[in-house]
Amino acid sequence: MWNMLKTNLILEKSNKKNLFACIIVVAFVFGLVLFIQSEELGNSIKDKSAEFQSLAIAVNKFQNVDASDNSNASDIYKNLVLQKQLVATQIAALKLNKPDLFLNTSIELTNLREKSYDMEGFDKVASHIPSKSENQLNGVLYEYMKKTGMAISIDALSFFQFLAYLFALIGSIWFIFMSIYSSGIMVEDFQHTSLIKGYPITFDKYVLAKCTSSMLIVGVFIIELFICSLPLIYFKGLGNPSYPIAVFDGDFSVYPIYKYLLVCILYMIVIAIFTILLSVILNVLLKNMYLTLFVQLLLYIFPILFPTLMNLVPFNPFNYLNITSILQGETLNLANPVVLNSTHGLIYIGISIVIMVVIIKLFLTTGKLKRV
Amino acid sequence: MWAYFKFEFLNFIGNKKNIAIYVILLFFACYYALKIAPTYDPIEKVDVDEIEARYLTREEFLSTVVIHDDMHPLTYFATQIYPEWNYYDKERLDAIKDDNLKLYAEATTKWYTYSDSLIYKFGGDMIFYNAGYYTYGNDYPTMDGHYAYLYSASRYEGYATGKSDLSINVFEERTALQTLQRLLHSYLPLILIVSCILFTADIVLKDRRNPTLLQGLPLSDWRKLIIKGGVAFLGSILTILPLSVGLIIIGVRNGFGDFSLPVPLSIPLPALSTNELTFESISMGEYLIQNMLLLVLWFLLIISVLLFVSVLIKNEFANLLVGCVFIFAEFFYFSRGIGYYWDVQWFPSSYVQVGQVISGYRTFLYGFEKLTLSNGLAVLGLSTCIFLLFTFLISNHRKFKLL
Amino acid sequence: MIELKNIGVQFSGRDILKDISITFNSGEIIGLVAPNGTGKSTLMNVIMNYINPNNGKVVLNQELEYTSKKNEVKIHQLVSMMPDQSDLYNHISGKEHLKIYSSMWNSDPKLVASTIKTLGMDSYINKNTGTYSLGMRQRLCFAMQIVSDTQVMLMDEVMNGLDPTHVELISQILVQKKSEGKTIIVASHLLENLEKYADRIFFFINGELTHVNVISPGFDEKEMTTVRATEVTDTIKEKFSQEFPNTNLRSLPNGATLIDVLGFDSEELSNVVEFLKENEITEFSFGKVTLNDLYSMQYQKG
Repeated sequence: MWNMLKTNLILEKSNKKNLFACIIVVAFVFGLVLFIQSEELGNSIKDKSAEFQSLAIAVNKFQNVDASDNSNASDIYKNLVLQKQLVATQIAALKLNKPDLFLNTSIELTNLREKSYDMEGFDKVASHIPSKSENQLNGVLYEYMKKTGMAISIDALSFFQFLAYLFALIGSIWFIFMSIYSSGIMVEDFQHTSLIKGYPITFDKYVLAKCTSSMLIVGVFIIELFICSLPLIYFKGLGNPSYPIAVFDGDFSVYPIYKYLLVCILYMIVIAIFTILLSVILNVLLKNMYLTLFVQLLLYIFPILFPTLMNLVPFNPFNYLNITSILQGETLNLANPVVLNSTHGLIYIGISIVIMVVIIKLFLTTGKLKRV
Repeated sequence: MWAYFKFEFLNFIGNKKNIAIYVILLFFACYYALKIAPTYDPIEKVDVDEIEARYLTREEFLSTVVIHDDMHPLTYFATQIYPEWNYYDKERLDAIKDDNLKLYAEATTKWYTYSDSLIYKFGGDMIFYNAGYYTYGNDYPTMDGHYAYLYSASRYEGYATGKSDLSINVFEERTALQTLQRLLHSYLPLILIVSCILFTADIVLKDRRNPTLLQGLPLSDWRKLIIKGGVAFLGSILTILPLSVGLIIIGVRNGFGDFSLPVPLSIPLPALSTNELTFESISMGEYLIQNMLLLVLWFLLIISVLLFVSVLIKNEFANLLVGCVFIFAEFFYFSRGIGYYWDVQWFPSSYVQVGQVISGYRTFLYGFEKLTLSNGLAVLGLSTCIFLLFTFLISNHRKFKLL
Repeated sequence: MIELKNIGVQFSGRDILKDISITFNSGEIIGLVAPNGTGKSTLMNVIMNYINPNNGKVVLNQELEYTSKKNEVKIHQLVSMMPDQSDLYNHISGKEHLKIYSSMWNSDPKLVASTIKTLGMDSYINKNTGTYSLGMRQRLCFAMQIVSDTQVMLMDEVMNGLDPTHVELISQILVQKKSEGKTIIVASHLLENLEKYADRIFFFINGELTHVNVISPGFDEKEMTTVRATEVTDTIKEKFSQEFPNTNLRSLPNGATLIDVLGFDSEELSNVVEFLKENEITEFSFGKVTLNDLYSMQYQKG
C-alpha cells in the first residue's frame, strides 16, 4: 500500500495534468477577484433600488386603491405596498448610514414577506420578490445580526468574505471539475497494464492508493484556494471569520464563515472521493475517459432535468452534488418542493462511497485491466 | 493526402467519444424541442386580454376625467399621453379580432415606438415597461425594457413591410428558425464550441497510443496536423445534423418560419454617446449566414489553439482546460458598461456569444461600439493565423516530434 | 520452484494449452520455443493468473495457489513477468521506473544502482523514457524485472531489439541470476543464444510442452549425433540411401540435410565423409542437431 502510494506520487509528480489543474485553480481565484470587482458585488444601494422598482411593478399589477389596514383591498396588495415602503426605508437607512434602522426594517420586511407567500394572488407577483427560501435565509441572517449586535459588512473582497464567496462558487461546480479531473484515472493505467498487472498488491489496495494520491492532489487544490486568496488580506483586510452566513441544513440557520468553510471543505472532500470512485468503476466498465465523463455529467444533470425524480428518489446521491444549491435550499422553490437536507446528503454520499468500495472489492480485479 | 484524410475521418467517426457527443447533442435537441420549447414564455407576447384590460381602463379614465387648471400634474400628464397610446391599442385589438395580422404588426410597431419614447424619457416611477423586466435581482430593468421595446418595434415593422407569412407563432418567435435565432442568442454557440473542443482535444494525442503505426507515414507533421484539424472541423460542422432533428420537431409543431423574416440588429453606439438606440433589420437568412461565419471562425480558432497546445504540451487534459479558458474567460471580466474602461474588442473571448455579437446586443451590454461582426472576424481570424503560424513553426522545428 | 498441474486452456473451442503438467525448479533456466501464437504467452499469463485456466492449477513452492486474492498477492510477490516496452511511462525517467519496481517489491534498493551499472545504462537512465530507442527500452524492461528480484521470473521475448553485445550481456546476467537460485522462464526466438544458457528447452507442439530430448534423442547429451550438410541435391540423397540403406537421412525445410550418426564408430563416420566428398559436398559439420534444425523440423512445413 505505502509502496503503491509512493509509486503513484512519482507518477503524479511529473504528470502535466496536475500542473494544469493547479494553474486553472489559480486562474479561477484571480478571475473571481476580477469578477467581484467589476460586478460591484455587495453594493447594497444598487441592489435595493432595483428591488424597489420590482416591487413598484408588482404593486402596479393591482388596481390602485386605498391600502390602509381596514380598507377592502386584497391582502396581497396591502402587503406589497407595505413591502415597498419598507424597501424605501432601507434605501434611506443605507444612504444616511443608519445600520440599526436598516437591520430593523430588514427584519420587518422579511416577516412581512413571509406572510405574503401563502396569500391569494401571490403567483401573479412571484417573479418580483425573492423566493421563499431566499427570504427565510435573509430572515435568519438579520435576526442573528440583531441578536449579536454585529455590524453588516459589505466588503465582499476582504479575506474571509471572499473565501465564503469563493467556496460557494466552487461548491457549485466542484463535481464537474472533479469529474473532468478524475475521468481518466484508470484509463491512463490501461496503457501500462503489463507494468501494473503483476504488482504484488490487491486491486482494492491499488485503487485505495490511487484514490489517496488523487485526494492528496485535491488537498493541494484546496490549500491553493486559500493561498491565492492571501493577498487580499494585504489589499482589503482580513474580514471577520465569524461573520454569519445563512444556510439551509434542514432548518434555516446561521453559520459563521469558518463553520461554513469547514462544511464546504468536508462536502468537497466527500464529493471528491465519491467522484474518484465513480470514475474508477466507470473507467473499468467503459474503458474510455470521455464516455466516463459524459456518463457522470448525465447522472448529475438528470435530477435537474427531471426534478420530480428528486421527490421520487430522495436518497439519490446525485441530488446532493451541488453544495451551494443545497445549502441555500434552492430545491424548496421548485414546482414540487423537495427538502434536501445537507446532512442527509453527506450520509447518502457516504453510503454510496461504501457501496462503491464494496463493488470494487468484490467485482474488480487487476485481471480486468486490459490494454485499450 | 486524401487517403490520410479518409483514414483520419473514419477514425474520428468510429471514436466512441465522438459518437457519444453526437448522441448527447441529439438527446438535448429532442429534450429542448419537446420539453423546453413549448414552455417558452416570451415577455412580449400577443396577449389580447392584457391589451384589452389596459385599453378599457385608460378609456374609462379618459372619459371621466375633467381637465382643469389645478389638477395633479400626473393626472394631466396622463390625459396628454393616453389618447394616442389607446389609439394604437385599439388598432391592435381590432386587427387581431379581424385576424388581420399585417395591420396588427403595423399598429404594434407604432405602439412600441410610442411606448418607449414615453417610458424611456419619463419612466422609472410612474410608467413602466412590461413587468417581465422588473424581476427580483435585475439591476437594469429599464435598459432591458428599452432595448426590448425598440427591438420589438423594429421586428414588427419588418413583419408589416415584409412578405413573410405571419402568424401568432411568428410574432412570439416560436417558429423553428426563430427558435434557432433565439438559441444563437443564448447558449447554442457555447454548446457548439464546447463540442468542437471535445472533438479536437484528442485528435492529435490519440496517436500516442500506437505511435509506430503512424510515425512513418510519408507526410510531413504539419500536413498531418492540418488534416487532423480539417477532420475536427468537419466533425464540428456535422453537429448540425443531430441539432436539426430538434429544429424539425419544433418546425412541425410551430411552423418553420422563413428566411426572409426580419431580425433586428441594434446599431452600435459609442460609449457614453447621447445618440439614441436604433435598430435595423436584416433577413433571417442573412443573420444565420453571419452566425455561421463567426461560428466557423470560432471552430477554426479553437482547432488551431488546440493543435498548438497539443504539439506544445502533449496532454489532453491541458487541451480541455485551455479550450474552456477561451470560452469562459468572458464570464470573469464581463460586466455591463465595462467596454468604456477596457478594450474588450481585442479579446477573442469577447465574441463567444456569437448571436448577441451579431445582433448588437453584446455591444449594447458592454456600452461600447467596437464589438462588431467585422471586428470579431478580424480578431478571431488573426488569432487563428497566429496560432497556426506557431504550430507551423514548432512542427517544422528540426527536433520536433509529433508523438 | 513452481509447479503446473494439468493446465488446460481453450479459446473458442480450440485447445491452446492441453493438460500441461510440469515442474520448474530453482536455479534453472527454462527455454520455451514456439512460433508466434502457439501459446507461450498464454502459458505465462496462466502462471501470472492473468488468464484463468479452464482446468488445472499453478502451485508455488508446494504451498501457494491462486485460490484467493490474498494468495495472488503473495504469489506476485515471488513471481514476476517482464513488462512490455510499449507500456513504459514516457513522462518519467528510467531510474524512476526502476525505483517504482524496487519499492513495489520491497527489494534491496542497492539493486537499482548495481543493475544500472551492469547493464551500462548510466548515460541515459535519468532521461525520460519517451526519448529512448527500442533497445534502450528493452534493456530498461529487463532491468526493471531484475530490480524486482523475484524468485521466479517470466520473460517473453527478452532479447527483442537488442544488439549482439547486449544479447551476450543479458545472457550472462541470466546465468548469474540462475546461480543465485532463481527460476527463469524465457521465451525467445534467438535459438542459438537460448541453446547456450537454457538448462531445459521445451517446444510447444499442439498445446503441449515437449522436451527437446523427446524430439531429438541425445540432444542434451555430450555426444555426436548428426552430420549436418547443406546444398545436397535430390539425386545425391537417393544415391546416399542406396549406399547406406540403414542410415537415417532427413531433409529440413530450411535447406539443411541431417544424417543420423548416433552410435557410429569412426569407420562408419569416415565412410559417410568419403561419400560426401565424392559427391562434391564441401560444407558439412559434425555435431548435434541445432535448435534451429529442430525448429525447422517441427514448425516449418516444406
